Amino acid sequence: MENFEPAIVAFVCNWCTYTAADLAGTSRLSYPDNIRLIRVMCTGMVDSQYVIKAFLEGADAVIVSGCHPGDCHYINGNYKARRRIKLLKEILPRFGIDRDRLKLTWIGASDGIEFAKLMTRFNDQVMEMGPCQTRLDRAI
Amino acid sequence: MTMISTIDRNDQGITQSLKVFFAKLLEKGVVDALLLPIGLPNSTAAMPSLITRPDQVDQAIPLGPAFFINAARIVSRLSWKESGRKTAVLLRPCEIRAFIELTKLKQGSRDELVIMGMDCPMALSRPNYDLYMENHSQGDDHWINTVFPIPGKDADGFEFAPACASCQSPFPVNADLSFLFFGADLDQGIPVRADTPRGEEMLDAISLSPGVESDQEPANRAQVIKGLQEDHGAAFKAMSEDISQQTNTIEKLNLFFSSCINCYNCRNVCPVCYCRECVFTTDVFSHEPIQYHQWAGKNGQIKMPSDTLFYHLTRMAHISHACVGCGQCSNACPSNIPLSQLFTSVAAQTQAAFDYVPGQDDPPPFSVFHEDEFQEIVGIE
Repeated sequence: MENFEPAIVAFVCNWCTYTAADLAGTSRLSYPDNIRLIRVMCTGMVDSQYVIKAFLEGADAVIVSGCHPGDCHYINGNYKARRRIKLLKEILPRFGIDRDRLKLTWIGASDGIEFAKLMTRFNDQVMEMGPCQTRLDRAI
Repeated sequence: MTMISTIDRNDQGITQSLKVFFAKLLEKGVVDALLLPIGLPNSTAAMPSLITRPDQVDQAIPLGPAFFINAARIVSRLSWKESGRKTAVLLRPCEIRAFIELTKLKQGSRDELVIMGMDCPMALSRPNYDLYMENHSQGDDHWINTVFPIPGKDADGFEFAPACASCQSPFPVNADLSFLFFGADLDQGIPVRADTPRGEEMLDAISLSPGVESDQEPANRAQVIKGLQEDHGAAFKAMSEDISQQTNTIEKLNLFFSSCINCYNCRNVCPVCYCRECVFTTDVFSHEPIQYHQWAGKNGQIKMPSDTLFYHLTRMAHISHACVGCGQCSNACPSNIPLSQLFTSVAAQTQAAFDYVPGQDDPPPFSVFHEDEFQEIVGIE
């Protein structure tokens, strides 16, 4: 696809990754605006259906990003998120949604630079992968 | 040590011998009530029914080809709260597995129950059952002799329900007592194994003293089960590969579900779909009319009923780890979508990913975590 602009949905936790994104902003770092941030209180609340809905609505990739292990504001939400992402990485590829289109990362509140770097890198990877099938064949 | 006793036949049929056994439980006051599959008056249907008088066991069809409903949620209804009544419930292996899953979520309790399990008589799909019943009567031993002591490849000219033909666990786990039919010489009586002290007490109370006649399982049982697991395992593998091929793109998945009418029957009959209120029937999906117009405008059209794939994929994510493979989703589908084939195939993968076997004692995979697991899925290289 010529001039492919990926749509990447990122569920970021309020306490770490969102704060890191904020820091990236105040530090005047830029990251690709293909990445649409959705602030959630904790990655532990990102139900599988949010990720599924994002893909079915035509997202080319989904990122879930929260606090490093041990740093979760709610003690263990990120560990629960990790199990859920593991589950989705088993289910979605069966239906043609590549497992590399779903990412889980830990980005701490002070990691503004890391945030901008990872988002840029992932955007490049998705550009290379091309559009997700769900953008071409809409789920009905 | 497991204790195995024998229910005497006394020149009666197998069904009749079991009925006498059940009636005795009520007569001797061992339990206050029984939950058994009961044939309904003037009907070929059989439904789990709660009975309290010994004479009512007469209509019981303990080992029929009918499997109208997975009774796990019915047992949950009987046990979510204390009733002060002791109830013995007769369940197929997949019903026990599903009920155990519900107890883990506190939607049922074994405290006042005696779970009676059985080597599974398997079942016919609903349409096949109706055909079968044109020439057979309920409650005779014809079906029992078809599937025991060794199930044939077909069911007296009928095909087993696909879920049953590919089930690799057609034997009871986690019951209080278990009727062992596979490999048994049923002319000599029906072997019954006490799996827990509660099961032992029950056998004692009706003077089937444990271990008097034998403490051995039927000699060929292990071998019959192994053979079944191999046959059914091969059938499952073939079915799973086929269904995966049929659904390996979103386009194909759209086609697979194209006749789905969003009736949610598959959810309603699913014994492990545990939410009291399903998100798909909440206001979250009561969209404003203008919303549909906006979607239609954006994409040219929107299929109504909407969100079909979203619903099925979400259900897979939410409960495939607990899928017991009972096949009732397929039975309930008015559009004859082979749901259980897809679900059990997905379930095998998700259960393997978390090393989880539903119906056993491990905690559900999304209720626990370990600090240093699954690190390979974290990060962006």
